[in-house]
Amino acid sequence: MKRTQLAAGRRLATRIIAGPLLLAWATVLLGAATAAAHIVPSEKLHPVAEAYRRATFILNLNPVVWEQVGPDVGTIAEHWRALDSAAAGEFVTELNGIIAEATRRGDEANGSAPLPRAVAARQVFERMTRGVATIGRELLRRAEQELGDRYEVESLLRAAQGVYGSFDDVLPAVDPQAYQRLGRCWLAMSSALGSEGLLGRGAAQVDRERFVREAREIVEYMDAHFGPQFASIEGRRLAPWPIHSPTFDRNAVLPARLPPGANTNKQLPRPRQILNMTARGVNESETALIALGDMAFDSPYIFGEPARALAISCNTCHNKSITNPQFVVPGLSARAGGMDVSNSFFAPHANNGHFNPLDIPDLRGIRFLAPYGRNGRLESLREFVRNVIVNEFNGPEPDPTLLDGMVAYMFEFDFLPNPYLNPDGSLSGKASAAARRGEEIFRRPFEQMAGMSCASCHIPSANFVDHKRHDIGSVRGASEHSKDGALDTPTLLGIRYTPPYFHDGSQPTLRAVNEWFNDVYTLGLSEQELADLTSYVETVGDGVDAYENTVHTLEAELEEFSFFLSAFEFLEQQGKRDLIDATCQTIALEIRAHKWDLQDYAHMPVLDRLAELMDQAYAANQNGAQEEVRALVREYRETYRKHAEALK
Amino acid sequence: MSLRGGCVSFGALAVAGALTICAAQDGPPRERPPRPSTRPIDEQAAPLKIAFISYANPQQVAKDSDAIAKYLEPYVGLRVKAFVTSDYGSSVEAMRTAQADLAFVDPLAFMMAHEQIGAKPLLLEVYAGGKPSYYSCIWVRKDAGIKDVAELKGRTIAFADQVDMSGHLLPRSIFVDRGLLPPDKLEGGFFKQVYFAGGDEQAIRAVVNGFVDAAGISQFAWLLLRPEEREQVTVLARSIDSPSHLVMARKGLPDEICGRIQAALRALDRDEPQDRALLGKLYGVEGYVEAKMGDFAEVAKIAARYGFVKKPEAFAAGKAP
Repeated sequence: MKRTQLAAGRRLATRIIAGPLLLAWATVLLGAATAAAHIVPSEKLHPVAEAYRRATFILNLNPVVWEQVGPDVGTIAEHWRALDSAAAGEFVTELNGIIAEATRRGDEANGSAPLPRAVAARQVFERMTRGVATIGRELLRRAEQELGDRYEVESLLRAAQGVYGSFDDVLPAVDPQAYQRLGRCWLAMSSALGSEGLLGRGAAQVDRERFVREAREIVEYMDAHFGPQFASIEGRRLAPWPIHSPTFDRNAVLPARLPPGANTNKQLPRPRQILNMTARGVNESETALIALGDMAFDSPYIFGEPARALAISCNTCHNKSITNPQFVVPGLSARAGGMDVSNSFFAPHANNGHFNPLDIPDLRGIRFLAPYGRNGRLESLREFVRNVIVNEFNGPEPDPTLLDGMVAYMFEFDFLPNPYLNPDGSLSGKASAAARRGEEIFRRPFEQMAGMSCASCHIPSANFVDHKRHDIGSVRGASEHSKDGALDTPTLLGIRYTPPYFHDGSQPTLRAVNEWFNDVYTLGLSEQELADLTSYVETVGDGVDAYENTVHTLEAELEEFSFFLSAFEFLEQQGKRDLIDATCQTIALEIRAHKWDLQDYAHMPVLDRLAELMDQAYAANQNGAQEEVRALVREYRETYRKHAEALK
Repeated sequence: MSLRGGCVSFGALAVAGALTICAAQDGPPRERPPRPSTRPIDEQAAPLKIAFISYANPQQVAKDSDAIAKYLEPYVGLRVKAFVTSDYGSSVEAMRTAQADLAFVDPLAFMMAHEQIGAKPLLLEVYAGGKPSYYSCIWVRKDAGIKDVAELKGRTIAFADQVDMSGHLLPRSIFVDRGLLPPDKLEGGFFKQVYFAGGDEQAIRAVVNGFVDAAGISQFAWLLLRPEEREQVTVLARSIDSPSHLVMARKGLPDEICGRIQAALRALDRDEPQDRALLGKLYGVEGYVEAKMGDFAEVAKIAARYGFVKKPEAFAAGKAP
């Protein structure tokens, strides 16, 4: 092997562009930097596959958020353009035309309606699928042509495999035999490239015939099923169903998946959660109902599908009771930190049919903040929690004891302590001069606001709420004179840590919020007054140690799992076997999610054993073997106690 | 690791996984030699040229390598120029043509470079857990029910690349040592089919997805999987230890300069924030220990089986580089 630096440089450039492998390594390297393995990096896909899978997810929703589909169509077209600019141009023109037809306003006078959502979604999906298959085919064709150039063909091969990865989330479930066969084709093609060897030794020739044979098999399958004749199955979810494959399983169920770009990871470092009972030094082992609530808050098993399969729990969005600002699901979120909770994905039965993503609320101090829901539609937290479980996340009707537990737990959420505030909500002596000037503005009545001040609704002595709903003009009504814009007054406590703001997260900063009021109500605040008012709101929204000072969370998580299990005897006495099931399942799931955070893998078998004990306890509980369940719970506690010091 | 699919930083992977079971207790004592004295930089002398390998992000490696060059300059007393190559072959070629005085390589590339151009081993990388070594594994699906490598007869296996120590030669030696594969030919008669997947990740994913029955790749490969996927694979067998990736020097580089480089890099202490930042730029390793020819004695025998190394006895313990 005689190489020049120039050649090396060229290969380097090729790999930067084409290397899904390198991307994968980069992911791991990035993971190393975070030192928190429970933070799962997003799946690294070829941009075409990522765009196709995300767009397919969104096209299956009702409503379709068309403005989020457009960029993915653009990404596919961009990669196609490098191979066939004319075809790419036709593709993007056609799809943009369909989207325009679907999103235009209907004209009642002319009797013309926009293209129905389902029809438009189907057309876009089918065209997109055929386009992706064409891109993959073209890349493989070029790879065959470039077999004399090892590095070029490697690049093309990886790109083709990456593009065909568009179908990798469906084929294993619906046509596993073909998926395995095609998987071996990719391996065989890679093998057929032989080796350049190292320093003149170990070189192996390219096996051209084998490469072409295997490539053809893949192209034939893709053309036959996703080529010009491809059509989705009427009445079923839009997906690349290979309906003409003899091994296609018509009864297969597609696994629940979130689209590329979704982020359901928890925050790191973790927000500091303050439970009132803990702050008061209560012995946690004697608070069974709260322990049950804590478990349920972290449990996907109180929800239905698909949240359960995706391990979504209350804690996913309200991480340690606080807003998770990075939570996002394309098609359901307008921006990170919010989601349309009445959607067709998580609970189709309760879909309201329109896209109304809401900013995730902070639950600190929630016992002081009734009514509940952004529009304050529910007076009771218990009823609100039930609605989340049943109508937002498709769960079964919750056991009354479970609801009791969740409410008891959530009533323990305290605000962050704030040394800048007196008990009556006025500023303490520690506040800055700017904040003090801002406090005066905050309490100043404005004629433009019907003689009210900011403090009229955000009452300082009442945790900055008035328990009422007001239409401040931030909600776009259903029609010109509709009265559907009233929202619950949110607290300002802790608000510094929960951007973005407003019910829909449309205001990125507290300064932006103040500017909005200044503009909409023509308050006439000067630049200095706006700065002072912002300083005041930031001071009110401040708090001590909002986040934990470590990224190593395993020890605290394991302690919490033990707390979950402290409810076991209570649940047994109450005969709540279903809740024992949920407790065991949740602990096992959580241990497996967090075990990679272990700093010394030598202790991994202990964590595996703890998870296994909960699996066994769940199985025994299902079988009604209560004595066995008790024994397994005892063993869990003893094992944990014995090894707790090392499990960090 | 794979030459074709891209080289891999074991250091960063080991940090990502906090190393594998039992590694934490096995490391050598963490004794750091003092830093060598500094000296004025001789602006007139030819600069010291170091070839860094790009594992993932060439631009980042280029930036990082400049920081390392700056660190070394006062200890070496020379200007230090860093450049980045995409694979070990390019680094060795750069050394052959006097464009590199030092290079970061894997053991196979070093042994071949030693035989061909007289390269000398200077420093071995130390990975999380304190070991200047790694090994390879035979990975299978947990649910496959395979308990012994002999059960892989007539089944399929994926390696990373044909010319790859941890992704082929080391795991292959597991079968050779059991008499299941011939010791001197790169043939796969024992298996129904042998694949070269192009990299560790492709190989271990082939196991997870059921495309093959086994993969013979690095001990760190599972860290490339998502957490839920890691639960699906297990280690069927492991190879002998190989010395870790290393820093090698060209033939004729003065001993004094080699010694100063060794001392400067060995002095890096992972408990010191500034040093730790530098180690992070050096592929995330935990530190360095001095490399000796004897470290390569066993892997040289394996490489010699297939003609990559001609004189494995040159790597016997006590041999001078």
